[in-house]
Amino acid sequence: MTLSTRSKEAIKTALAMTIAYAISLWMGWDKPYWAGFAVAVISLATTGQSLNKGAMRMLGTLVTTVIALILIALFAQDRWLFMLFLSLYVGFCTYMMGGAKDQYFWHVCGFVCVVICMAAGPDSKEAFETAMMRAQETGLGILVYSLVSILIWPITSRADFDAAACELLSTQKQLCRSYLDLMRGDGNPGDAQALRAQEVQQQTRFGQLLDSAETDTYEVREMRQQWRRYRSQTEELTETMERWHESFAELKALDLSLLLPNLAPFGAELDERLAQMGRMLANQAPERQPAVMDLTLNAAEIGALSHFHKAALAVTCSRLQHLELLTRSLFDNLSGIKGFGQSIPEADSARPLDVRFVPDPDRLVGAVRVILSMWLAYLALIYVNGMPGGAGFVSMAVPFVMAFATMPQASVSLLFVPAAVSVLFAGLVYIFVMPQLSSFMGLGLLIFGVIFAICYLFAAPRQALGRTFGLAMFVTIASITNEQTYSFLKVANTALMFPLMFLLMAITANVPFPLRPERVFLRLLGRFFRSCDFLMSTMHWDPQRPVTRLDRWRDAFHAREVSTLPRKLLAWAPHIDTKALPSTSPQQVQAVVTSLQGLTYRVKELLEERGNPQAQFLAQELQADVRAWRLKVQETLKRLSVDPTAGDREAFRTKLDGILGHLEARIKGVLDQASEGLFSDGDGENFYRLLGVYRGVSEALVNYAGSIGPIDWEQWREERF
Amino acid sequence: MPHEFAIGGVYVPPLLVASVLGTIAAAVTARLLNRVRLSRYFFYPPAVFLALMIIYTVLFDTLLIPF
Repeated sequence: MTLSTRSKEAIKTALAMTIAYAISLWMGWDKPYWAGFAVAVISLATTGQSLNKGAMRMLGTLVTTVIALILIALFAQDRWLFMLFLSLYVGFCTYMMGGAKDQYFWHVCGFVCVVICMAAGPDSKEAFETAMMRAQETGLGILVYSLVSILIWPITSRADFDAAACELLSTQKQLCRSYLDLMRGDGNPGDAQALRAQEVQQQTRFGQLLDSAETDTYEVREMRQQWRRYRSQTEELTETMERWHESFAELKALDLSLLLPNLAPFGAELDERLAQMGRMLANQAPERQPAVMDLTLNAAEIGALSHFHKAALAVTCSRLQHLELLTRSLFDNLSGIKGFGQSIPEADSARPLDVRFVPDPDRLVGAVRVILSMWLAYLALIYVNGMPGGAGFVSMAVPFVMAFATMPQASVSLLFVPAAVSVLFAGLVYIFVMPQLSSFMGLGLLIFGVIFAICYLFAAPRQALGRTFGLAMFVTIASITNEQTYSFLKVANTALMFPLMFLLMAITANVPFPLRPERVFLRLLGRFFRSCDFLMSTMHWDPQRPVTRLDRWRDAFHAREVSTLPRKLLAWAPHIDTKALPSTSPQQVQAVVTSLQGLTYRVKELLEERGNPQAQFLAQELQADVRAWRLKVQETLKRLSVDPTAGDREAFRTKLDGILGHLEARIKGVLDQASEGLFSDGDGENFYRLLGVYRGVSEALVNYAGSIGPIDWEQWREERF
Repeated sequence: MPHEFAIGGVYVPPLLVASVLGTIAAAVTARLLNRVRLSRYFFYPPAVFLALMIIYTVLFDTLLIPF
């Protein structure tokens, strides 16, 4: 009889938990449940994921042990300063937890400090022993589970990682082909949208599995720099394809096969490269190497186009060339990873990293909420007589408020049922079963049986919350020690701590502003347009003008806002209560977010183009017209930043058509008067690209105005419970 | 005199019971107000919810559970 993966994982966790308790009790260590917590938290689907999480937990515990002892030593006699610095430290950890890397490390750094401080605080002479015990027990739990997961039925991430890489590439290949078809006027936009959504999920999964595979698979670890580069290149490929897709609306009237004679072979080459990369990912040698391709332009036909059509074509060609460079770079990188050699030196398409520190307002608000929660819990501990759990209430509340600070969309009510069921179950075991046991034989069987049952019944990823609660509550309420005692008050106090904790979270969720999804969505929209407005205003900056540090910082801040806000809006969109808003459908909300993502790409491109030199005479002749256009766009953005719902598609369209018509005539007039040699091919390319991206921003605004039209925004603004 | 609730020999404070009932009643009231769209006239619904909880708790104390 072969055991299922679910059974094997449950057996491993149960065995590790039992061994950790056995060692801890045999060594006479205090609080063995801390080892149990470590096992419960780090038992994940693959060995790599578990080892990663275990390493972050151990490192976080060691770092925060030092911090906790320093705080206790500095402020042993002053509880207010002690709490001030402890809450500021936890707030800092909460802020860092919201970043892209090492979230769990910062989470552990935050809550373990509170656990040690609250356990040791009232009696500081025990502080050092408590801190050391925490580090010991955590290390024991991590070590035991790591050994069990490595030695017994180890599951590496390699197979999942390879599968995820193949799936992601396959989806990107299909998306590229779909976009090529759409550009030619064929293809189904619905299919492309579905592929795009799939790509986003697969990209996230690939990133997560890469982190695990680096830990548990030697071959991946050896080439980890190349794999990380591959990951960032696939992200860049995603963004480049989306920017390319944004331009299709402006190309509708053009016969691209006439204007770009080698477009079909160019598209076939891109498709073939991605196919060969698929072969390499399946560990088969590529059948051919990528050929460098440039798009050829039919100068005669292009000359007959209007200037704005030339601009749209210039932008599209630029994106296709970048796609060509990027796919070549991806091919070379993958070739090197898989050992199939490189045909040409690796084309470098990597963007330099921006390492400036730019604060994220949403993460700052999350940190403030956590600090406020800690203070409320602490004040309740001091001033409310008979507070259930005592100092343990503060220790228990902090991990939850930190986790919710990074997931503000999640409702506290999600915790009600898991908390109630897990406390009830653990309470029943603690009161009725455990007093019957007299030796570790019975206790060990009980621990193994309970942990196995919880892990087996809650094995699916979507049941992770129930699993975590079940394990944590059993470990907490059982409170297994060598001098075991039983008291109903322990269960009652633990049960009572939860409603108080939920009340605390409900209060702080409304500070500094309520977290109703509709209001948050509108607020984020306003911020988005404020940042767009600022970035547009920087377009008039003279490239020769000295840029101060404050200017660079503000530029970076607003650029980051514009890049990240569509993603945040996407996270809030599914939580909008469309039942309470009958005139709003999830598809309409999605359309708004998609249009904002398009605007983000256009604004980023505009900022990238501003650095390119322009022909002097064109800049002089058209400066006033382009400035007028820019000011109109800024005026629109400013109006939208005050009221993001104040866009009218027809009005925007009419205004834009007027501007395009006027500029078309002006450009024609200027170029007709230009003498020979004043306007080189390079100048032309730069000029048309800049014109194209300016138009792109305006078209994206028209698109946004169209997406917000069908929604009844007044209902969104109404107050509700 | 305060009246504790005894459940299987475990004494539960009356304030706890009254506040639990008060919270449930406030939640039901909030839902009803949302449904008939009367909640749009409140300036700050979370504070209103808190006020409703306190009112219902006091009412339950006065009429049902003296503490």
